Amino acid sequence: MLIFTLRRLNLFFFTMFLLTLLSFSLSFLFPGDQLVNLTGALNASDSVRDSLAAIYQQDSNIVVQYFAYLSQIFSGNLGTAMTTKSDIFNEILRLLPATIELSLFAFFLATIVGIPIGFIAAINHKKPIDNAILAVAMVGYSIPVFWLGLLAILTFSIQLGWLPSGGQISLLYEIEPRTGFMFYDILVGSSDYKWDALQNAFAHIILPAAVIAIAPATIFIRLARTAMLTVLETSYIKATRAKGLSFNQIIFRHAVRNSLIKVIQHIGLQFANLVTLAMITEVIFNWPGIGRWLIESIYQRDYTSIQGGLLVLSSFIFVVHIITDYIYALLNPLARGAKYGSR
Amino acid sequence: MARDKIYLEEEFPSPLVQLWIVFRSTPSIMIGLGAFTFLIMLAIFSPILAPHSSVDSNIAMALLPPAWDDAGNISYLLGTDDLGRDMLSRLMHGASLTFGLSFVVVLIALVIGVFIGSLSALTKGVKSSFLNHFLDVVLSIPSLLLAIIIVAILGPGLSNTLWAIVMVLIPQFIHITRGAVKEEFAKTYVLAAKLDGASKLRILLHSVMPNIIEKIVNQATFAQSAAILDIAALGFLGLGAPIPLPEWGAMLASGFDLFYIAPWTVYLPGLAILFAVIATNLVGEGLRHAIKQRKDS
Repeated sequence: MLIFTLRRLNLFFFTMFLLTLLSFSLSFLFPGDQLVNLTGALNASDSVRDSLAAIYQQDSNIVVQYFAYLSQIFSGNLGTAMTTKSDIFNEILRLLPATIELSLFAFFLATIVGIPIGFIAAINHKKPIDNAILAVAMVGYSIPVFWLGLLAILTFSIQLGWLPSGGQISLLYEIEPRTGFMFYDILVGSSDYKWDALQNAFAHIILPAAVIAIAPATIFIRLARTAMLTVLETSYIKATRAKGLSFNQIIFRHAVRNSLIKVIQHIGLQFANLVTLAMITEVIFNWPGIGRWLIESIYQRDYTSIQGGLLVLSSFIFVVHIITDYIYALLNPLARGAKYGSR
Repeated sequence: MARDKIYLEEEFPSPLVQLWIVFRSTPSIMIGLGAFTFLIMLAIFSPILAPHSSVDSNIAMALLPPAWDDAGNISYLLGTDDLGRDMLSRLMHGASLTFGLSFVVVLIALVIGVFIGSLSALTKGVKSSFLNHFLDVVLSIPSLLLAIIIVAILGPGLSNTLWAIVMVLIPQFIHITRGAVKEEFAKTYVLAAKLDGASKLRILLHSVMPNIIEKIVNQATFAQSAAILDIAALGFLGLGAPIPLPEWGAMLASGFDLFYIAPWTVYLPGLAILFAVIATNLVGEGLRHAIKQRKDS
């Protein structure tokens, strides 16, 4: 386990190095002045410019510049947004929890819906149920998420009027932002309408989360189905059958546990996909998250924001990646001795 | 000349022909292939086939519902949008933008990726290991996010989007080709060719390529369904094709505001994207199925 942890750490540092390097080189690749792209100090006075140039060590060679940039990142300075002049780090701190909340909720939804359905499909292999589930899964991961979002708003918000069409919570409720995680803030905060607010926040999150969850859920269906099929063909399942265990005992005691491990292995990769879907869905549902902010800064050509947003978002994805890898290794002793760190 | 001995010749079809024999045995997949060919035809011939212009506006005919509606007009079969542009013609032109361009994008990425991938499979050591780690990092970033990054660098626009998606797809092809070539090079038939004195390049082109082409084509179908969705998503976000162009994603975005008065301007482009992606996925599914069947038999 120690070696496994060290390998993970090694990969983590390598990736972080690449990501920061990419982010640093973006300031050169974006049009305009490099220092301005890096700091967001548009139309700054000469004295401000000079002091910034000193901080980022503009006179030294490129390696020193990179390390100066790195130390600025670690002290929580990602520059100021070109358009709003607000500090990007605080901005991201304010927006990221909303995105994390939405994507975790969607992830949870996709898992609890997708995996059992996949198992059902595998148990009924080559029967009509299996084929039907596969066909639905095919449609599910072919649907463009922005279209699905629009249809969901049209049906559930406009025609049926069941759910709100956008935002994180109704403006009637005044929730004091402590962490930015809406559900946590409501529970911790002291107000008389706690439960109403909670219900309202839940009604707001369910539609976007369901829209995001559809594509990953169908992928989980396929993953769970394949995993279950391989497990059901192994000899230890045959042995349990020979021993005369009942169907339920075989499935729940032996097959499900072993196939879940295989599913968890691939779940981390899907999370990255899910975050991208969340970015687009945030635009449609007017969700105050980092995805919408990032896309808006692309419209406004706010290069400093793009740079900071990308760095934070990709590190977030990567951290989740590592955590799921770790959970997988904890659950499955076979994986700890893996030959190569990333698998 | 008379043949005195008639014997049944045993035929060994090439890997691709074998694949095709298994492939055509599933009806649903042949439907997918049919739809795929239909879309390619549409992409090529849409300027000749489309009944109206895709960009000229005709305010007198604005917001006509589809022809089966009572208020519809038969010469505008699928209705018109807010500028009186025929939806059917726009969708047909869109086939060559969204679907046709995704095909071209995948083709370019395939050629570059396979080239780099097979070269890197033949090299060993630090260079190769670095590439491996680098690819791992790049592949862990989702394709759309990477495309958005590249579009942010290049600036919005259709051609920039296409280059961004090409760059996003290349690492996937490198990864697949590299793995497949390495796997094949470990097999004994390659050793036999080596002992015959064939050069590495000759082995690669004549022995290995025919055996890995199916995997590459399989990856190409994955890449294409991703490319269609990415082009459309970027178009929808306003980072890809500019609004007057009948790209399906951009059409959806411009129908966004009308979507309560004229829902067909939102339904139809979405259905078109769905249709194209399902057709591509069905072909890919069939390929994977066929490859698996051939491996098992």
